[in-house]
Amino acid sequence: MDNSVIIKGNNHGITVVLDAALEYDKLKTAVEEKFKDSSKFLGSAPVVLGFEGRALLPQQEKELLDIITESCELNVVCLVDTNEEREKMYEKTLSERLMDISAASGMFYKGNLRSGQALTFESSVIILGDVNPGASVTSKGNIIVLGALKGQAFAGFGGNTNAFVLAFDMAPTQIRISDTIARSPDEPSKDEVKEAKIAFLEDGNIYMEPLNKKVWNDIRL
Amino acid sequence: MGEVIVITSGKGGVGKTTTTANVGTGLAKLDKKVVLIDTDIGLRNLDVVMGLENRIVYNLVDVIEGSCRIKQALIKDKRYPNLYLLPSAQTKDKTSVNPEQMKKLCEELKEEFDYILMDCPAGIEQGFHNAIAGADRALVVTTPEVSAVRDADRIIGLLEANEMKQTHLIVNRLRMDMVKRGDMMSSEDVVEILAIDLIGVVPDDENIVVSTNQGEPLVGSDTLAGKAYMNICHRIIGEEVPYLDLTEKKGLFSRLFGKK
Repeated sequence: MDNSVIIKGNNHGITVVLDAALEYDKLKTAVEEKFKDSSKFLGSAPVVLGFEGRALLPQQEKELLDIITESCELNVVCLVDTNEEREKMYEKTLSERLMDISAASGMFYKGNLRSGQALTFESSVIILGDVNPGASVTSKGNIIVLGALKGQAFAGFGGNTNAFVLAFDMAPTQIRISDTIARSPDEPSKDEVKEAKIAFLEDGNIYMEPLNKKVWNDIRL
Repeated sequence: MGEVIVITSGKGGVGKTTTTANVGTGLAKLDKKVVLIDTDIGLRNLDVVMGLENRIVYNLVDVIEGSCRIKQALIKDKRYPNLYLLPSAQTKDKTSVNPEQMKKLCEELKEEFDYILMDCPAGIEQGFHNAIAGADRALVVTTPEVSAVRDADRIIGLLEANEMKQTHLIVNRLRMDMVKRGDMMSSEDVVEILAIDLIGVVPDDENIVVSTNQGEPLVGSDTLAGKAYMNICHRIIGEEVPYLDLTEKKGLFSRLFGKK
């Protein structure tokens, strides 16, 4: 059994342990063979990749990475340098990537959320219905309510400060975006018109504005 | 050292939450440091009656489970700086809390507050046992209807079985005009059946509906119910207050033209 290349997995990515003594050209072949052999097993999951056991030049690192992506289906989201807190780094990097993905992709939910119901989504969500007082929607991405939002909406759960909440009838008891919380005014103004509004985070404050071109321009997915 | 008071009734819809909100606010008006605890997990509404729903971040279950500190979960009232609310969880159920944990929580809160009011859920299941676990005294709310009185009787029996030191009665939503006609039990009739001391009689008052909907307790205001609740507060802190004359004073117009 050839042990010049070993693949180790952890929760958020894989570590490739390389033989320090082997000639670089032979190592390349070994890496290629190893990943081709394991291609089926590894699948096509999004992973963070790291090398260990051997000092690599940036050029070599890139070459090896190219070999790996060509030899198997793995979706290498990024490469991590060797350091002691490697696993933590993997976790952080992956969750950040997933956060971007979660904001940009979405799910639909059809139905009214009533008091006491709480839904949590990994991605952005579009609610076809109302969110009543006492109900809450939590999403790592954005929340769009094609109805009345009268309960709680918690967008960007996990730290995405670009997340927004949009509703046709915006009258929430509370909105949270990332770590910021805003609550409804105690005296609701009577003459407020029912119109679609968007809530977003800017300079640590949550703002709620009617939809217009300027707002659309400022939105980042 | 504070006192823990549980407001309970057995039957639903007799005014436990309204009473908790008004008595709590009234005690705060009398310069007491008060915390209201909504123990109705899964069907919270004390926060709505107090108009504090939009401030909720943490709740009772978070405190019990240790996912936040008590201080973080306490919501300061918007009118009285010495009045606080510990809201209940909306998405959990009654089994997420047990009586021992409630007792411990009450002991901790007693250090800092003069009065801890527990709004008890309807029924006699775990929620009821959670609410009465740490209580030093109980206020039993009933309306002058046989069904509510029957349930109150059952509750008083359970409180006695659990060795509640002090139990008082509040007769809520009394209508003097009906009592006079003989169509409704009087507070005296209710006291006779239940055989415990009365601490207050609150008339049926449409202002209560308005105040509940606006999230502003009406205790201390110039309404009959407001005065009745304020009197209850005075009696709770040990003052002697005469009972109100609940005969409704009609306006000039109806006095002139109304039927007798």
